[in-house]
Amino acid sequence: MQHRHAARIAALMAAALGMGTLAACSGDDGESTTLNVTLANHVWTDIITEKIPEFEEQSGLDVVVTQLSEDQLVDNYKVKLNAGSADVDVMMYRPLQVGKLFGQNGYFADITDRVSGAGDWDWEDFQAGPVGLTTYEDQVVGVPMITESEMLYYRTDLLEDAGLEVPTTMAELEEAARTIHEENPGTAGIVMRSQASAAVTQLSGFLYSFGGTWLDDQGHSAIASDEAKEAYAYYGRLLHDYGPDQISTDMSWPESAAIFAQGDAGFWIDASSLYENVYDPAKSQVGDQVGFAPFPAGPDGSRPYNVAAWALGINAASQNQDNAWAFIQWATSPDMTLEIQTEGVPSARTSVWENPEGTESFPEDLAAAIAANGENGVGQDRPLVVGVAEAREIVGAPIVAAITGEDSDQAAEQANEQFEAFLESDG
Amino acid sequence: MSTAQTASAAPAGTGVRPARRRRAPRAKAYSAFRATMIAVVVLVFVVPLLWMVMASFKTNVDIQNTAKTFSFTPILDNYRHVLANDDYLGFVRNSFVVAFLATGISLLLGVPAAYSMSRFNMHKSALVVLLARIIPGVSLLVPWYYVFANLGLVGGYGVLVISHMFILIPISVYIMMSFFDSMPRELEDAALVDGLTPIGAFLRILLRLSVPGMATAAILSFIFSWNNFMFALVLSGANTKTLPVAVFDFVSYASIDWGAIMAATCIMTLPIIVVALLAQKYIVSGLTAGATKG
Amino acid sequence: MTSTSSDAVPISTRLSRWANQHRKWLFAAPAMAFTAMLICFPVGWTLYLSLTDAKGSVRRPADFIGISNYLRVLTDTDRFWPAVARTGVFTFGALALELVLGMAIALLLWRTFRGQRWVRVSILLPFVATPVAIAMMWRLIFEPNIGFANRVMGWLGLPPQPWLADPGMTLPTLIFVDVWEFTPMVAIILLAGLSTLPDEPDEAARIDGAGLWQRFWYVTLPMLKPVVLVAVLLRAIDALKTFDLLYVTKGQGGGSFHEAETLNIYVYGLSFKYNDFGVASAVLIIFFLMILAVMWLLTFRRKGAKL
Repeated sequence: MQHRHAARIAALMAAALGMGTLAACSGDDGESTTLNVTLANHVWTDIITEKIPEFEEQSGLDVVVTQLSEDQLVDNYKVKLNAGSADVDVMMYRPLQVGKLFGQNGYFADITDRVSGAGDWDWEDFQAGPVGLTTYEDQVVGVPMITESEMLYYRTDLLEDAGLEVPTTMAELEEAARTIHEENPGTAGIVMRSQASAAVTQLSGFLYSFGGTWLDDQGHSAIASDEAKEAYAYYGRLLHDYGPDQISTDMSWPESAAIFAQGDAGFWIDASSLYENVYDPAKSQVGDQVGFAPFPAGPDGSRPYNVAAWALGINAASQNQDNAWAFIQWATSPDMTLEIQTEGVPSARTSVWENPEGTESFPEDLAAAIAANGENGVGQDRPLVVGVAEAREIVGAPIVAAITGEDSDQAAEQANEQFEAFLESDG
Repeated sequence: MSTAQTASAAPAGTGVRPARRRRAPRAKAYSAFRATMIAVVVLVFVVPLLWMVMASFKTNVDIQNTAKTFSFTPILDNYRHVLANDDYLGFVRNSFVVAFLATGISLLLGVPAAYSMSRFNMHKSALVVLLARIIPGVSLLVPWYYVFANLGLVGGYGVLVISHMFILIPISVYIMMSFFDSMPRELEDAALVDGLTPIGAFLRILLRLSVPGMATAAILSFIFSWNNFMFALVLSGANTKTLPVAVFDFVSYASIDWGAIMAATCIMTLPIIVVALLAQKYIVSGLTAGATKG
Repeated sequence: MTSTSSDAVPISTRLSRWANQHRKWLFAAPAMAFTAMLICFPVGWTLYLSLTDAKGSVRRPADFIGISNYLRVLTDTDRFWPAVARTGVFTFGALALELVLGMAIALLLWRTFRGQRWVRVSILLPFVATPVAIAMMWRLIFEPNIGFANRVMGWLGLPPQPWLADPGMTLPTLIFVDVWEFTPMVAIILLAGLSTLPDEPDEAARIDGAGLWQRFWYVTLPMLKPVVLVAVLLRAIDALKTFDLLYVTKGQGGGSFHEAETLNIYVYGLSFKYNDFGVASAVLIIFFLMILAVMWLLTFRRKGAKL
């Protein structure tokens, strides 16, 4: 018995020793002059990280940037914020995907007073839609810095060969996709996302343009309405009838962009932020032949999503909130925003869009299409709920059914029931 | 396999076989068949890796063009891009530091433990350690982070080293236990007769004899640490990111740079392949620990 | 821990004597304590969470709801049981193929030949290469439109396949990748086993006129059984917990129809995608028990041999 006791003490001592040694060689921060900034891999991030030394110099702070790709970023936040960690000060996040969840969990610091008291920095300059998304229960929790809208990409050469005009309505789009598909064997008329939850955001423009919504006014599921069913059927029909011959149900944007960039499709519908993938000759075989057009109109007009894709917020557990705010203010200042937008990242500031300098770097038709989308756009591209990931899987299922040629109306009814049940327990 | 097994084979395990004389035509045919099959096996396992190496020398446009599988103009841009990325060499260093520390400390704890467990037949205690091998990693992430954050360990190498040790200690213990099991007990007895204490015998005699075993444990540990993804994904900080996580640096919000990803994976895999080439013997004996005794 | 020298100073002699007497635990305890500490807290935490309705964040107040998470999980035929089935199919499919192919390769490489060293090193590569890198590589190879796999199909005169993009083909394709990655490991373990076998029984059987297959099945294989079991044990643990490959190729959720969602991926999704920590913890505990049960079955059957 006694030796067991001794063993236990020895074990504890050894363990403590080990922990202590390791603690000694781990980096020590928590000093208020070190600011931990977590950013997603994005062009915006590439530009801002190059400028961070300027900020460090003027503020006297030491900025440590952690940069991760989107999925890893979210997982990383979830582990750290769940543990109540103060290791993150500034966090770049997706308001539509995690805004409600993080807000409800109390992960965000309330910055209402900071934004409204910032004078020249001019909070009023930010577009209303994006600001709505970074506000949680009347508290401002984030500053939107990147926007995106749903864009129609087309091949100028294929349209010309077929003697087609750029489609402006859903009917014209379907007709054009059919023509291109028939006249160019092996080429798809159109390509779009087909993976259930990834496709939800791209369906949203169709849903709104057909007159549908995700939720009705009372907050109940509206995905089995006639309009929604029409949108599902139309989206699926485009891909089923005129899509790639090898139609996969697992395409997100990289896969669909790759097909378009190889010259294997006439149209591609996806976010404006992705245009470099098909326009840049280093990434695309058809860079010279890409045209951009506003989202086509359905029975309810042209109603694409136009949203705040990314925003900057402050971790509520951060011990360094004043400095975090100083960083956000610097990174989203009018000048900085203009500078970044001229490098191709669409911003959420009205003044930058009104400034001719702000749009001159975009291809002309892209800038025009973004502007048109901005006027017609809807401020969300997915259901605004707490459990967004789960909701996307549910409301995305009928898309896949429609693409594979199954009865999408029935799938919508079924999804409607599941969505209704989900909404009841959501949050 | 054994029609070609000429005459009486030499004692098994020695690897020495009598030279083959006067083959019958049938044996010759078999031998050709065998050579072909071996070539096929090698090709199946190596060609995908070669394809990856080729892709790392292609532009993104060429990677997506199946007509250019073999006929392409090799470029170094991907490697240039990867190595120019902020601090990629820093990530290489992080991977090395974490792997070395984790391997070293794991051996320090694991080897004596394996000795005790083997010498005193502590199979139940061994199970406690081996349990770590079985537990699903997902269940560890949030609680660990919670504890480590409160201990102030997060953001440094410490937390990564600890998490990797969790995987490596069972490996060292497993390999070293089977190594000590195969060591004759008389060795220790003889040392005691010579006047050494049991611990002295362990340190001066047994440890020296178990260098090959420790090399095996060290190499496999190193590989497992180098390759670890899940723990590094959430536990590594800005300055301690390791290579498997850094691969995702080229998966961006609005673009996937396949060329750079392939270059990054080649860079990441290269040290491991070098280790495999140099230490093949030890890896094999590590894999087969416990499978073959004596 | 290493006070060994027996200098004349009484205290160090006493210490040394004490250390030598208690060396059994002195040696074993640090590793055991380290591991136990890192296991106990998470397992306790998971057990606790599995009995609550924790959701969103583990720091939000949660109610104790008894075993209802377990009931919910065990009656969930939408996600849980299909995930169990997929885990089983993946593990046993991969394991069976790896054993058969591994055995074939081991027999092929058994007797020495020229260049043997290089062959052994080259088949070792898939196993030692970083799994995340391997998964990235295969993801690109199996890309239906631009991948190398369909190019090879073209050379063989076969129609292109959707591979990972098709729900029906996903699991077989992933099993293929796992087989590619780990058959070498199985082969090398079996090869080492083969090389320790005595030749006499085989020789005797040959003299008795037994054929090739008979000698393998009735003589070699039974002698190799303990080695086969070790290979099964090592592979089974890792195959059940496969994460990197599935995460990289199909992402969280495992595709539109969850076609690649095994238990480990499901648990990851429940925790990090749905933030449903209560249910996730219940699945974790069940998953853990399942792995333990499989291990117990394997080692139990091994009792006849030696542990």
